[in-house]
Amino acid sequence: MDELGTYAENTWCPGCGNFSILSAFKKAVIKLEERGIKRDNIIIASGIGCHGKMFDYLNLSGFYSLHGRDMATIQGIKIANPDLKLVTFSGDGNCMGEGLAHTIFAAKRNADITILMHNNGVYALTTGQYSPLSEKGWKGPSTPKGSIEDPFNPLSLLMEAGATFLARAFPGKTDHFIDLIVQAIEHEGFSLIEILQPAVAYRNTWEFYRNNTEIIKDEPKTYEEAMKVAKRRDKLPIGVIYRINKPVFHKGLYGNFNPMVESLTREKRLEKIDNLLKPI
Amino acid sequence: MVNDVFTFIVGGKAGEGAKKTGSVASQIFINKGLHVFQLLDYMSLIRGGHNFSVVSTSNRWISSHYMKADLIVNLDKRSYDTHINHLAEGGIMVYNSDLEGNMEGIGVPLTSEAKKYPNPRLMLGVGGVAILAAAIGFAKEDMISIIGREYRSGKEDNISYATKIYNIVYPEIGNKFQLEEGDKLRPKISGNQAISLGAIAAGLDVYYGYPMTPASSILHFMAAQSDNFGLTVVHPENEIAVINMAIGSTFAGAKAMVGSSGGGFALMEEGFSLAGMAEAPVLCALSMRSGPATGVPTYTEQGDLNFALHAGHGEFLRIVASPSTMEEAYYLTAEMLELVWKFQTPGILLTEKHLSESEMTVDINVEKTNWADPKMHSGGEYKRYLDTKDGISPLLFPPSKEVIKWTSYEHNELGITTENAKLINIMHDKREKKNKAIVEHLKTKNTVNIYSDKGPLIFTYGSTTMSVLEALKFGDIEAKVIQPRFLSPFPVWALEKYKNESVVTVELSKAGQFSTLLKEKTGIITKSLINRYDGRPFDPIDLSDKIKEVL
Repeated sequence: MDELGTYAENTWCPGCGNFSILSAFKKAVIKLEERGIKRDNIIIASGIGCHGKMFDYLNLSGFYSLHGRDMATIQGIKIANPDLKLVTFSGDGNCMGEGLAHTIFAAKRNADITILMHNNGVYALTTGQYSPLSEKGWKGPSTPKGSIEDPFNPLSLLMEAGATFLARAFPGKTDHFIDLIVQAIEHEGFSLIEILQPAVAYRNTWEFYRNNTEIIKDEPKTYEEAMKVAKRRDKLPIGVIYRINKPVFHKGLYGNFNPMVESLTREKRLEKIDNLLKPI
Repeated sequence: MVNDVFTFIVGGKAGEGAKKTGSVASQIFINKGLHVFQLLDYMSLIRGGHNFSVVSTSNRWISSHYMKADLIVNLDKRSYDTHINHLAEGGIMVYNSDLEGNMEGIGVPLTSEAKKYPNPRLMLGVGGVAILAAAIGFAKEDMISIIGREYRSGKEDNISYATKIYNIVYPEIGNKFQLEEGDKLRPKISGNQAISLGAIAAGLDVYYGYPMTPASSILHFMAAQSDNFGLTVVHPENEIAVINMAIGSTFAGAKAMVGSSGGGFALMEEGFSLAGMAEAPVLCALSMRSGPATGVPTYTEQGDLNFALHAGHGEFLRIVASPSTMEEAYYLTAEMLELVWKFQTPGILLTEKHLSESEMTVDINVEKTNWADPKMHSGGEYKRYLDTKDGISPLLFPPSKEVIKWTSYEHNELGITTENAKLINIMHDKREKKNKAIVEHLKTKNTVNIYSDKGPLIFTYGSTTMSVLEALKFGDIEAKVIQPRFLSPFPVWALEKYKNESVVTVELSKAGQFSTLLKEKTGIITKSLINRYDGRPFDPIDLSDKIKEVL
């Protein structure tokens, strides 16, 4: 067992893209430590789904949240202690279905969090139903005749919502992927990486992504350029698609204050309340 | 006057200032050292409709408004029609003589006098203060000073208008009511302010809320006080985010609280259950309004008792407590924040619109406030869900060298997911131990308020207690009023001695949820249920008649 792993038995399907994500994330943590971010300050979370098992397999502190609620959980952790770096693993159903409102609002307020969105285009753990990112026509147990809806484009959607760092990654390009994770966590503000994750039991896309992804050579400089790259469908561009600087939510809320560190003493609180309760 | 109480009603369209007039009236009584109870009755709209304030005052502790008033000031015709039957014997009805319609009483040209100033509609309420001041013989200079302080925008105009109205009405109603002086100046707070201050006093760091009447004013008060107390206040996208963010904050070690009414709390149930499993100490203020569904947003009820007691899927300890008065709301909220941290489980401070949004004078000794102080890890290897004798695992907050894992899944002591049958049992048993531990703890605390020790038994809870106590005073009825402060765990140990009694139960619930709970937990049978469910709190006069009927 490596020091970032746990004894928990790994129950992903052999060949699943999640293995590559787990190993890339561990390497990214080591890199972040080399770059001065303390391991103790990296707090992980996850939603519920195959992606969520990352939580049990990583020897890091954090919160295994409810389906779709991890985006809210980590924002609450960040608000309480802004010194912490928050990362959640969030499946496409978790992030863009059950948790969509939390994801969009986190982008809107530029919450300083990182979402690693495992996009396998399917609800794998619950036996293969269509997800918000499945292509039209996907046949799963809830849509035996094929899904009727077009999928979201998560990147253009979140650009519009206010995200300040958006990237796409393919775990097959390991070093590129690790580097993106490091950049996303270092970004001050809302960051999300759409990870193209093969789910071998339902759609073995290793080969497809190997042939149809293309590393972005020049990072888009404007919103319009980024939108074009985000919407490109012939080849899937991987790399940083959109990156801007914008004030983060918690600083707007309380500047450089830290609620955990600077909480008022009981005496101070009582004195102030006594003052408020003075009759005019 | 009804007994030793003086009551003032002022009513008008939303936006005419009846709420503010009520509040300034209270201030006048407070300055005389009197006790005050102030009810605000308003409709779910911004402009128009009918809003009114009722302020009852006395030189003894008073715990309800009275719907029989000595002085009624009607800023509009609808107010007159609404309150025509609310005049006490010997009372004075004042109407706005500039309006059409057949009205009797003292006519005052409130509108035409106001039209001499730039902002006439907003001034009508100021006229209401002047009429009250004249009627209770309040010196003109004192009135001017209070108007100047309370109506700062357009201060000179307001003073000039108030003086004119005072002079007009004085010859007819001047000094008609002589109020005694009281014993001391007391602060006046609303229930929601009491809840907020209690939580802050006990150590609150973060408050999350999504607007929903009648809990919104907790959010507003906390936000207004955030700089003063270093408090962080967030209004996120919905109640689901509210509770999940709060739970996240507790993971980081921050004392967090949320607030809503029934509909919003329904959305929080999923997170409430998460708090049970993750053992997250989150406190929820649940202020009940008329339900079900959207119901009657700005009116009161006690219809969510069963909902609070059974909220959240799965089996876990939840603490539910309900305060009787503004003072108790302050202390009990602090005690609840302490308890949820002591036992690492979610809790509900259950209250009603009637407590949340009514205001009364209080005597609060801040030194008596509880303080949330959880059991902390003292070093060495850390296990978040360590199985201890009382089921309470020590806490540790990030950043830490030790790994801290909180989880929604069933788990082992380290917080790693398990499906192992033996471990599932162990963890269920661990959490169950907290049920026993809290009962032992509460046995040493005051869990039931008992008022007077003679007479037949009346059971009630929450702010309905205030109505019952005032009704007994009004009707000069001797009865022993018993009010459980805690509803979960239910203090059966403190009520055992009454188990073969048949009692009167008073509550704001059609189904009589509280009387059913009493029977189920203690065997106490309700022989007479006095319940009201039209959105209005009890009036002490009506209620005393009803109590006399059944005793």
